[in-house]
Amino acid sequence: MKCEEIGELLPDYFEGSLKAGQDALVEQHIEQCADCREEVAIWKKLSLLPVEQPSAGSRERFEAMLQAYQTGRNDKASAGLEREKRGLVWNRWRSPVGAVAWSAALLVIGILAGNYLGNRTTRSNGGQDEIAAMHTELTNMRQLVVLSMLQQQSAGERLQAVSYSRREDQLDPQVMSALVHTLRYDGSVDVRLAALDALSRHGAQPQVHKGVVDALQEQQSPLVQVALIDLMLEWRDPDAAQRLRNFEQTPNLNPTVRQRVDWALSRLN
Amino acid sequence: MKELERAETENDQAMKLAPDEDLMLEVRNGAGETLGVLFDRYHAPLYNFYSKLTGDRTLSDDLVQEVFLRILKYRQSYQPGTPFRAWIYQIARNARVDHYRKTPRHITFEPEMVAPVMPKDSAQQLEETELLHRALMQMPEEKREILVLSRFQELRYEEIARLLGCELGTVKTRIHRAIQELRQNFKQLERGLAPREAGPAVVKTIPPRRFGNEM
Repeated sequence: MKCEEIGELLPDYFEGSLKAGQDALVEQHIEQCADCREEVAIWKKLSLLPVEQPSAGSRERFEAMLQAYQTGRNDKASAGLEREKRGLVWNRWRSPVGAVAWSAALLVIGILAGNYLGNRTTRSNGGQDEIAAMHTELTNMRQLVVLSMLQQQSAGERLQAVSYSRREDQLDPQVMSALVHTLRYDGSVDVRLAALDALSRHGAQPQVHKGVVDALQEQQSPLVQVALIDLMLEWRDPDAAQRLRNFEQTPNLNPTVRQRVDWALSRLN
Repeated sequence: MKELERAETENDQAMKLAPDEDLMLEVRNGAGETLGVLFDRYHAPLYNFYSKLTGDRTLSDDLVQEVFLRILKYRQSYQPGTPFRAWIYQIARNARVDHYRKTPRHITFEPEMVAPVMPKDSAQQLEETELLHRALMQMPEEKREILVLSRFQELRYEEIARLLGCELGTVKTRIHRAIQELRQNFKQLERGLAPREAGPAVVKTIPPRRFGNEM
């Protein structure tokens, strides 16, 4: 048999789904043909490649996502109930006659909307809007995850939340203020530093800018203080010099931090 | 109290044994927490699918999360009777295509992105594994995908055909060609030569297929 014919049989041979006779044919052939033999060998060798393990936080991230998703859904559902209780007009539609009229109206709306949307998507070439909307929704979902993870007990998870937030180019104002809050009040220095790092990319946002600059007075950790001073210098904050001079008056200031302030002030002038 | 506990463990046991499709129907009917069982079953295989395909671990982690988020969001589009495995791989492929649409790639193979090779029997085998991995990563992603699906995800050829939307015969031909190319790459690497096509293997846009609805 020629290699071409054997080649056609090889995938089934790999899968072990050849009939006994064909199996023997392939084996006979590969004993004589080096090329085909090597093909079989490389297929077998692929099993050497290791099975890779997802990162350790994978399950936690999933749980947080699930929780955020379900919280989001319950909120929506209860909001719906509230509306229903309030609606007096709504109750009128609940009589049998109303129900029929209502279904008929819905049917008409449905058909019209269907036609309209159908036309529109063909015209707009594949529903770009839909994809954009989906994208926004997914982004929102990811940010919900960040918010929920920032509330976790373990510093590791909060740290992960902060680093997760860095994947977004645009941050929701709520996430930003949560990060500012983390920078100010989180119990762990590592988490505070990470939050500062994440916020440093959003200095153009007035809310972030103010939050970060204000955080200096309250920080106790010299590490965070130094990082904040550096960032204020980098941002060329207009009030930086004034703020740093005030900050330098803080009693018992760590000598390294004091040095850093002096250095920053010299750079600002 | 004890009986309740036993009932709960029995319930857990039943869940752990239940077919994917039954679990997915529960998720579809609103039991979001059941998705955890499916996550346990699928997150490692999916991670391997992505990491062997892209060579990027962070991206693979992200895409796995994305798949499960999409399952939640589009769970209503899951039709009873659809094999769950086919469905989840469909979502996985779409998630990847959408990701590349958003962030076009510029690299396919970066040494630091390569998974660490676990020392096994000998230095020679170690080297062989490394070469094989390189040879695989040099292939265009489209060809690599079919090998990953058949060899590592252990999807049957019929499942792959359905997934890619092509004939069973085409799948077999493509597997054979991919193996031929892999062998060439591997031989060239063994000889210490540059591969035939040294340029980065650019991803061809693989059109996503959908099961009726957007996922």
